[in-house]
Amino acid sequence: MLKVEHLTKIYEGGVMALDDVSFEVPEGQFLAIIGLSGSGKSTLLRCINRLIEPTDGRITWNGEDITAASQEDLRRIRRRIGMVFQHFNLVNRSKVITNVLAGRLGYTNPALSVVNRFSRADLDRAMAQLERVGLESKATTRADELSGGQQQRVGIARAMIQSPELILADEPVASLDPVLAHSIMQYLQAINRDDDVTVLCSLHFLDLVHAYADRAIALNEGKLVFEGPPGAIDDVKFKEIYGKDAERVG
Amino acid sequence: MPNVSADDETIPPLHPKRSPRRWLTIILGIVIAFVVYAFTVEKTDVDLSQIRDETRREQLFRILRALANPDLVTYDQAEVVVSADVYVPCGPELPEAAQSEPYVVVTPSCGNPGDIVTIEGFGFVPGVAAGVDFVPDSEFAVTLQMARFETDATGRFSVQAELPSRESTAPQQVQATTKTRVGTWTDRVSVWSDANGNGIEDDGIISSDGSMDVLVVVGRVQTIGSIALVDAENELVQFMGFGNDSSPRSGPAQGEIPFVVGDDLRQEFAEDITGGGAEVFVSATDLGADTPTATITGPPGTDLSEWTLIVYDAEELNRFGRTPLGDLFAMSPRLSDNALETWDKIIETVALALLATTVGTALAIPLSFLSARNLMRDITTPVANLSLYLLALPAGVVIGALAGRAAGSVAGAVAVNAWVVALGVVALPIVILYAFRWAIPETEVQPPSRGLRAARYGVISVAVFAGIVTVFLFADLSVTIGGFLRDRVPAVGFLGNFIATTGEILEAILVLISAVLGAGVLMNLAGRLGYALRSKLPGQVLKVLNLPLAATAGVVFALLLGQVVEWFYQIGNPTRTVLIPGIVGGALGLLGALRAYSRESVNVGLTVYYLSRTLFNTLRSIEPLVMGIVFVVWVGFGPFAGSLALALHTTAALAKLYSEQVESIAAGPIEAVRATGATRLQTVVYAVVPQIVPPYISFTMYRWDINVRMSTIIGFVGGGGIGFLLQQNINLLQYRSAAAQMLAIAIVVASMDYISARLRERLV
Repeated sequence: MLKVEHLTKIYEGGVMALDDVSFEVPEGQFLAIIGLSGSGKSTLLRCINRLIEPTDGRITWNGEDITAASQEDLRRIRRRIGMVFQHFNLVNRSKVITNVLAGRLGYTNPALSVVNRFSRADLDRAMAQLERVGLESKATTRADELSGGQQQRVGIARAMIQSPELILADEPVASLDPVLAHSIMQYLQAINRDDDVTVLCSLHFLDLVHAYADRAIALNEGKLVFEGPPGAIDDVKFKEIYGKDAERVG
Repeated sequence: MPNVSADDETIPPLHPKRSPRRWLTIILGIVIAFVVYAFTVEKTDVDLSQIRDETRREQLFRILRALANPDLVTYDQAEVVVSADVYVPCGPELPEAAQSEPYVVVTPSCGNPGDIVTIEGFGFVPGVAAGVDFVPDSEFAVTLQMARFETDATGRFSVQAELPSRESTAPQQVQATTKTRVGTWTDRVSVWSDANGNGIEDDGIISSDGSMDVLVVVGRVQTIGSIALVDAENELVQFMGFGNDSSPRSGPAQGEIPFVVGDDLRQEFAEDITGGGAEVFVSATDLGADTPTATITGPPGTDLSEWTLIVYDAEELNRFGRTPLGDLFAMSPRLSDNALETWDKIIETVALALLATTVGTALAIPLSFLSARNLMRDITTPVANLSLYLLALPAGVVIGALAGRAAGSVAGAVAVNAWVVALGVVALPIVILYAFRWAIPETEVQPPSRGLRAARYGVISVAVFAGIVTVFLFADLSVTIGGFLRDRVPAVGFLGNFIATTGEILEAILVLISAVLGAGVLMNLAGRLGYALRSKLPGQVLKVLNLPLAATAGVVFALLLGQVVEWFYQIGNPTRTVLIPGIVGGALGLLGALRAYSRESVNVGLTVYYLSRTLFNTLRSIEPLVMGIVFVVWVGFGPFAGSLALALHTTAALAKLYSEQVESIAAGPIEAVRATGATRLQTVVYAVVPQIVPPYISFTMYRWDINVRMSTIIGFVGGGGIGFLLQQNINLLQYRSAAAQMLAIAIVVASMDYISARLRERLV
């Protein structure tokens, strides 16, 4: 159970990205976060693993207070939270397998991983994850030689090698074409269903929300404006979330 | 104010009318610029009359011609110098001059200064550069140039020249000189050695049959001795002696070439040639008594390149050298001494640049992360931790240095002989490796218990201490091995020297390293303590505790600063270097703690960032030439000082360039790696380093270019390399030699530029 209480983030310069946001995510749920660009979706996801320090509020996960965790505790928390990014965020010049292995860094000893040494078990894990996303033949290819969809699959493999209990996906399909978008979403769905991993996924397209999410929350200018099943987003709700001038596409 | 119509307000005119005020500003600007440039020209001594000056122009052309003609190749020149007496002004009748060729006739043979005389020469070497000089009656060896020309095809010349205004009652000379280029092999004479040490005992009879000019050996002998020529069967073909009398011992000037049995002749010369080392020419043909030539003749069909020329040293008859004739001919013309020296120094220059670049790069890479804003920005620490850090830093340095010393003395006690040291160097690392394996497990799912953690810290401390001892032993072993190699195996002496030097450097910096280690460890512990305090103690207690901690930290830091000031300025007044800084520091600490508590965290990262930035910028702005002067004072003249200066500047410059690269990398991968729970160091290794490899290589190569260029002039301040030679030659007005060095610099810099450009293409 992930519990977000009164979460507020004010950036330097006074921009209020999150305004008293509270919600809960039960174990194993696929939660979609929707909202316009700049509504605070990315900030919200990054506050959960504290890539961004929240200004105020509390986030607890399975009883542990993430917002109060020390650096060392945070390291232990982060390694159980996988993250998938809109722009994949792979290290372009590194090999695919190295990018995947980077997901194990939270587990490996800093002194050993610094000299690029991973245990046999980690190497096996990395190959298994690559197989799962169908990229085992690309293990020694440089990451920037892959196509966009392949890069996002590597990103998923990197998140999955963490053996996560929670995945934060920040618009994972926004940079991909619709066909690829579905294939990536199917990977996330499989992870959610088969491995029982909670998924928080910010999305732009409502049809994707309808197709994959168990539940949705919506942000508008940092405020939580909707919380409920995707089916409950009717035209009225839609205008509330996206503004009165918005038109539905797709 | 001019009237502005309504139209003007809406559409501003393309060329607005300038107000008088504006005009005034422009005129004033022009006047100021005029004054500034007038002052500049005055200060820079711009003097166009100097440019037009005829004599200066002459000098410039001379230098430019010298530069266009670098001193790279030496031809030994055979000089024929013949003079004729002349009276200025006319004096007694001159006796009839001998007319043996070559000779010079001056008509008339006397005259007043400024009179034109005709100078004719006969019997000179045909078609070569020649000159006529006036040799005045002077105690100094002075000659005044009269004319320069070439001899004609018959070896004659006739020129008209003005008598100089040097009057004397004694006869003075007009001297004609021709110079012909000849080869040389004599430089090898002194280095030849007798292979079996028993001379040429088995030499046969010299044959005088079948003489036929096949090849000519031309050369000059600088030692007293003799030359023998043996054929492919080691039969003595020809033998020529030469001594310190001005006449050759053999040659047509004296008659036939004396073909004698080698041993006898050697005997003869041993008696004849005693004392002195005058330079005498040997001649075997009739090319002229003093021309340094010898014709080697052999029977028809002989392959002379199979013959061997043997040169004896008359004073040590057993010392002689031999060389195949084939080699001799390749030596003329040869590289000049200047060219060889330039080669030597250019190698030194490149080595110097290489060392400076390597050391500078190695230091700059870690430092560049400290001055990268995007990496340092997020490093914050609570005030309590900051105070603890500031307290731990000096304590850690002291403890680390003491531990380093202790390790050194332990190593010294253990190192009874080289075998024990070698055993230690092999065995200790294995033990240390196992200790680390135990203390630092590969993966850890649950946080370890407190007892286990303490035990691990203990084991790691002992292992680190043992590690320092090992490095000490290793350094000791390096010095031993290096010294052994240097003394016993001269062929790889430079390798031995390198190993020994590396060992010494290790020994020297080890205490420093352990001081840094100590500071790091203690600061780490202080940080942990700080976080523990923060999570265990209630806020009010923490706030109260913060005050004394910050005050103490302030005092300690201020006292250290006071010591630095004392060291530099030697004030010698404890009130000003201890008491006042202590009080001020304490007060500042208190104030800081009171003020900073509201924000709770202090941005340490940015502080380090600004400090290192400032340091690098300062160091970078000091030219390596200036640093070179300081290092020359410290380590003496030579390339070592130069490489230290360049290394320091390289470190500062590269750290800045590198850090700007770090700042410009994509933030996404860093975010992604941090999100996996990686530590800061892991993030740097996995997300930052792969992104910066190409620009780092690129900048290193660029710096290598710069260092090659800088190392060519660091010698100007005594920092070694080719610059020293260049400056020396410029100061001695030897522009031809300097030109050779400039050429070498141009070639090296251009080729380094080319190579690095190609490498960059490949690697990046």
